[in-house]
Amino acid sequence: MKRGFLMVALLAGLGLAGCSAFTSGDGASDDKVQITYARGTDTTGATDILVKEFEKEHPDIDVVVREMPSDSGQSHNQYVTMFSGRSPEVDVFDADIVWSAEFGQANYVLPLDRLIERDQINMDAYFPATVEAGRYNGRQYAMPGYADAGLLYYRTDITDQVPKTWDELEQLAQENMGKEGAEFGYLMQAAQYEGIVTNAIEYIYSYGGQVLDANGNVVINSPEAIEGLNKMIDIANSNFVPNNVLNFKEIDTESSFNEGNAVYARNWPYMNDTANDENVSKVAGNVGIATIPAGTAGNASALGGWMRMINRYSDEVEASWTFVKWMSGEKGQKISALEGGKAPTIEALYDDKEITDVSAVLASEDFYNSLQNAIPRPITPIYPEISDIMQIEISRALAGEITAEEAVKRMETKMQAALESVNQ
Amino acid sequence: MKQPKKRRFQLNERQLGYAMVAPSIILIAVIIIWPILLSAWNSLFDYRLNDPSKAERITSLSINLETYADNRYLVYDTMEAVRDTMPGAESTLDNITSALDEQHETLLKTDEGLADRYEEVNTMLENYQPVNDDDLRLTEIPEAWTDGFTAALDEQTAAVQALREDAPEGAVQPLTDLESQLSNTKNAVLEPNFVGVKNYTEYLGNGRTWTAMLNTLLFTVVTVGVELAIGMLVALLINRVFIGRGLVRAAVLVPWAIPTAVAAMMWTFLFDGQSGIMAYYMAQLGIIDDPGVLLSTGAGGMFSVMFADIWKTTPYMALLLLAGLQTIPRSLYEAAAVDGANKFQQFFSITLPMIRSAILVAVLFRALDAFRVFDLIYVLTGGGPANSTESISVYAYKLLFEQQNFGAGSALSVIVFLSVALLSTIFIKLIGSDLFSGRLKQ
Amino acid sequence: MTKRAGIGFYILLIIFVFLVMFPFIWVFLTSIKPQGEIFSSFQWFSSNMTFENYASALETRPLLLYMLNSFVVATLTTIISIIVASFTAYAVTRLPIKFKGLILGLVLAASMFPQIAVLSPIFNFVTDAGLRNSYLGLVIPYITISLPLAIWILSTFFIKIPLSLEESAKLDGATPFQTFRKIIFPLAAPGVFTTAILVFIAAWNEYLFALTINTEDSWRTIPVGISFYQSQFSVPWGDITAATVIVTIPIVVLVLLFQRRIVAGLTSGSVKE
Repeated sequence: MKRGFLMVALLAGLGLAGCSAFTSGDGASDDKVQITYARGTDTTGATDILVKEFEKEHPDIDVVVREMPSDSGQSHNQYVTMFSGRSPEVDVFDADIVWSAEFGQANYVLPLDRLIERDQINMDAYFPATVEAGRYNGRQYAMPGYADAGLLYYRTDITDQVPKTWDELEQLAQENMGKEGAEFGYLMQAAQYEGIVTNAIEYIYSYGGQVLDANGNVVINSPEAIEGLNKMIDIANSNFVPNNVLNFKEIDTESSFNEGNAVYARNWPYMNDTANDENVSKVAGNVGIATIPAGTAGNASALGGWMRMINRYSDEVEASWTFVKWMSGEKGQKISALEGGKAPTIEALYDDKEITDVSAVLASEDFYNSLQNAIPRPITPIYPEISDIMQIEISRALAGEITAEEAVKRMETKMQAALESVNQ
Repeated sequence: MKQPKKRRFQLNERQLGYAMVAPSIILIAVIIIWPILLSAWNSLFDYRLNDPSKAERITSLSINLETYADNRYLVYDTMEAVRDTMPGAESTLDNITSALDEQHETLLKTDEGLADRYEEVNTMLENYQPVNDDDLRLTEIPEAWTDGFTAALDEQTAAVQALREDAPEGAVQPLTDLESQLSNTKNAVLEPNFVGVKNYTEYLGNGRTWTAMLNTLLFTVVTVGVELAIGMLVALLINRVFIGRGLVRAAVLVPWAIPTAVAAMMWTFLFDGQSGIMAYYMAQLGIIDDPGVLLSTGAGGMFSVMFADIWKTTPYMALLLLAGLQTIPRSLYEAAAVDGANKFQQFFSITLPMIRSAILVAVLFRALDAFRVFDLIYVLTGGGPANSTESISVYAYKLLFEQQNFGAGSALSVIVFLSVALLSTIFIKLIGSDLFSGRLKQ
Repeated sequence: MTKRAGIGFYILLIIFVFLVMFPFIWVFLTSIKPQGEIFSSFQWFSSNMTFENYASALETRPLLLYMLNSFVVATLTTIISIIVASFTAYAVTRLPIKFKGLILGLVLAASMFPQIAVLSPIFNFVTDAGLRNSYLGLVIPYITISLPLAIWILSTFFIKIPLSLEESAKLDGATPFQTFRKIIFPLAAPGVFTTAILVFIAAWNEYLFALTINTEDSWRTIPVGISFYQSQFSVPWGDITAATVIVTIPIVVLVLLFQRRIVAGLTSGSVKE
């Protein structure tokens, strides 16, 4: 009997001791301040260098990196789970540019206004859209991190003509398709997911339409938005895009373009690397980039990318702010650009030869202009719902189930209802 | 418990029985029943984490001092910015200041010690400390004050709006900020958000809930049905002596034993529109028009999810049924053969009745699993495209963690729970006492 | 076990096993292809076999650490739930207590509840207890899954042990607990072992709690860790297939060694003997 009990107690004890020994493993040492920086998986290794450089300059701060899922939606859910439990486990994190209103409204993240004012950070040094994306209800919740903007890719071995407008794109895609084995004239993202929203925004805003105005009112039901959407419907149903374009995401665009199947394609800057990599691409060396074509109201490139926020429940606000300030500053952004190929959000960095030497994208004036004219997606605390509504209705319109007029009307009604249920 | 020497304290059999049952019952109560009750309680509130005025369960009219103090600081700060950029705003700003100060003083008088608490909260905010202590942060307030407070804020918001009409360009931004900050100050007031069964009525009247429910039912019926049919065929086929039984058994157990998330990942690769071999073969065979449709259309997505599930669990089903088949005495078939019954008649008159309870138990456990399906769908399709593969568990997860609507998300969780309970009651009625008989007495 | 197996039977059998194993075969074949051949190539065999995907899979993510975590969590869960569950199963099947039906009903109900329904309360509980990113933080919620399962299966094994053994132990003056420990538990050992394997597999495979509770990379388990090979716009199938093969190997070994026991455990609830 005794032995049996001993055994049970021993097993239980082992289990518990094992656990506690493991949990208490990473306590902060000495009088160093330890902060945790969470971000999506980084395959470039730039984060490690960034952190090492920062720790060299700030020996009193120890930065622990925590990897989150690279899928924006999945990491969003994990952050929400943590912050709703008021957990201080993460101090600084990379936030998708569409999260600021939601996280700000929920009081998950620290408003940075007092700190920005105290340390006199010059917010005008950043591209306006990247600052605007982090602002909600008169407060700055995020510092710009790195940016993405939609770009037009084209095959330099087929054509040197770059379409300036959507109309020109239609014409040139038509003319050039079939050359050099390029089966399609143009590739875009029109599957029903976040990508269809970014694509649609580029059409709608380039014709002068808007989704939400500065006060958060729904203004999508406008002749301009209809015109933009009609152009998108036109292109998605033309004979120069693949007939399964309604299934296309970034990765499909990338593989198809790299296989040499298309003349023009819309994608994010990242594709420039793979398209020019001989191991995976048949078009390496024949890739040109340009701004997204314009509508009647000019160019509009959808803004993507990530910002830096501080957890409202962080125990180490000062150290976190020091880190955020440094990362978003010139030094931090330069490291991200040199080591990770990330596009800086500070305008002046595009004058730095070292940075423009990193890649054709960073050297491209068109990319710089795209960032200048970039459009953040609607800034609202219920962005996931707004995006959902747009995905469903736009996808229907592209499939020909409803007209552009019907689509904007339905989006208007649904968005208003969604906003109302939150605001009352 | 007890030492063998202290015979006097020896538990008798019954006492020992209760003592041995106790740990399980306590564990189940603490980590299963209590959380379910908490979810049920949450589901009765309009409880949304992303809305500061509804971010907790509030049963009586209260104020959140953290939000209040924070906004108060911000409003005064922005008013300075307006003062600098728009000299003509002076009188309006003075009005705002005096209106807010008046409300502030009345508020602090409503409860003893409130002034000190306000100061404490304010100091914490100045040091960027979060205010986590609910006793410090929240306080009940009289309705009369709330009415006055809201009215004052509305009035001043309107005044700022009017001011913006003819503001110089530099003042537009601070005025817009001031306006939203003033109206946000109202969020400090926490109205009771107990809504009774409203979450249930609202979400049961919502198309997406029913789509998710139907998807789940369809998924359950189709997968369990097909698994049963194929599983039965396979079980009949391998119910004989052959070389390599162990190896075959191991081979079919592997899909069942690997993590669902890993299996889902694998199938994402096989169904992929560009490089998925399954999609490619199916398109080659003309079953689908284009390799892309599997993961990008509603029907294709549903098919993919079901297919992956059937692949993963049919072997398991076959093994369960095989074990049932092996309990049927051979003599029964011999007697039937003598009576001239053919194979089909034998199957329906002997095999099926003999393994009825084995089938029902297998179907019960599979159906319950299928009804709660989460991992497979979440990893394989994420519920898309267009929510066409969204199961009720996936929808509940999204409501909870994507839309942060804890009230509604909890309501859906409770609905899943009740559906599962109903489903199992029906089955247990069908199975009857067989389910417990193997466990209670011989 | 009536019929003899003929040639036709073996052909059908091979087809069936091939179909079941096909995804694994394809994943394995993909994992030994060079990067450039994976995309849009439906060749079964590559002329340039390579193990670079394996090297890369082990290098880019701490795959072996994920496996260690899964192993520790699953083992702890198994030990704790088997101990607690065997007490309960014994009491319910062999001791004269009341409410047996109610207790078993409760256990059955507990095994049916949807995990999603308790996710957020459990998450808050684990956070408040400071157990996020620890082994115990997963073991506690896993008990919600494994305990009912273990009680349910163990009780079928305990009931099969002849009562006469207990009677004679009682006559020899053994206390009820001694009877349990010295007579019943050893006799039920094969059943306990079977139950342990099933509980272990269930804990090894759990996804939802693991996803939500252990968010630090060094505490992730296999099912969650494997989805971390993807980056924002790309899916490195070479790495993922290699990782899938690596994590499937222990399962294959486990199943090969214990297939008989696993089947016994799976069928214990559904077949009357």
